[in-house]
Amino acid sequence: MSDGATAHGSTYKIYWVTWGILLVITVAMLAAEKFHLPRVFLVLFLVVFMLVKATMITGNFMHLRYEQRNLAFIVALRLLVTSAILFSFLTPESISVRARRSEAAPPPTETAHHP
Amino acid sequence: MQDAHVAALPAGWGGGVSPFGATWQKTMMWIFIVTDGLLFSGLLSGYGFLRMSALTPWPERSTVFSIPFIALMTFILITSSATMGTAVGASRLGDRKTALRFLILTIVGGASFLGCQAYEWTHLIEHGARLRSNPWGAPQFCQAFFILTGFHGSHVLSGLVVLTITAIRTAMGRTPAQGVEMAGLYWHFVDLVWVFIFTLFYLV
Repeated sequence: MSDGATAHGSTYKIYWVTWGILLVITVAMLAAEKFHLPRVFLVLFLVVFMLVKATMITGNFMHLRYEQRNLAFIVALRLLVTSAILFSFLTPESISVRARRSEAAPPPTETAHHP
Repeated sequence: MQDAHVAALPAGWGGGVSPFGATWQKTMMWIFIVTDGLLFSGLLSGYGFLRMSALTPWPERSTVFSIPFIALMTFILITSSATMGTAVGASRLGDRKTALRFLILTIVGGASFLGCQAYEWTHLIEHGARLRSNPWGAPQFCQAFFILTGFHGSHVLSGLVVLTITAIRTAMGRTPAQGVEMAGLYWHFVDLVWVFIFTLFYLV
């Protein structure tokens, strides 16, 4: 009987420990916003902790830690590689679109001179 | 020769053995989660494109949203994920009562989150936010906001439908532990997507 109770406790414990860690990370992320960190560091900090949270959710809540390793690899690899490809193709494109837009839009000083 | 050929074909598997050591239901659920994850990966990349190509400055999030309110929404969703995990654990142990109680708590959490989102949308629309215009600066900002949170909200809504059906069936004793686990996988996925939207849209 007591064995059963221990089993119950340890089954639920993982979810609430994960919940606590996720909350602490979220509070840390919100606090980081308040400090005037250099933008690069802030973005890096937020992205790293976002990935830590994602790992905790998939690993502990979605039980990926307890599944066969190949399932975790396929899921993580597929999503990370596709996101990386999308990001690396879209970033230079968005910068060039922005440059073309700013060329097309006449600067405000020029328009002021027109009658 | 012929036999060697047949053995190399995928059909040679026979279909009885799972390559992931998981049931077909779980394998299919993971395939669905990956494809749905790719949808959000595309949407978030599109958001990145809109933001980086915008000429007008991107609005400061703290001037548009109440960040404590967004933090509360995040808290609700994370908590609902923990209650969902507990429901999955309880149903695995055959404790139907606890499973049902925590399923109901998860539904309450999800409904509260959706209520907060409806409030946020109403608030922004009242202030003049539209799909193609934005009173705070770059019009792409509202486009990204409505598309990202709209898609996520629709996932929360469908998750609530799944959870309600699971709760009713659990109450009737008709959902096996695996059914609760599948609903749980989907619900945690909804939480996972929010982690990305919360960081990349509201904080970065």
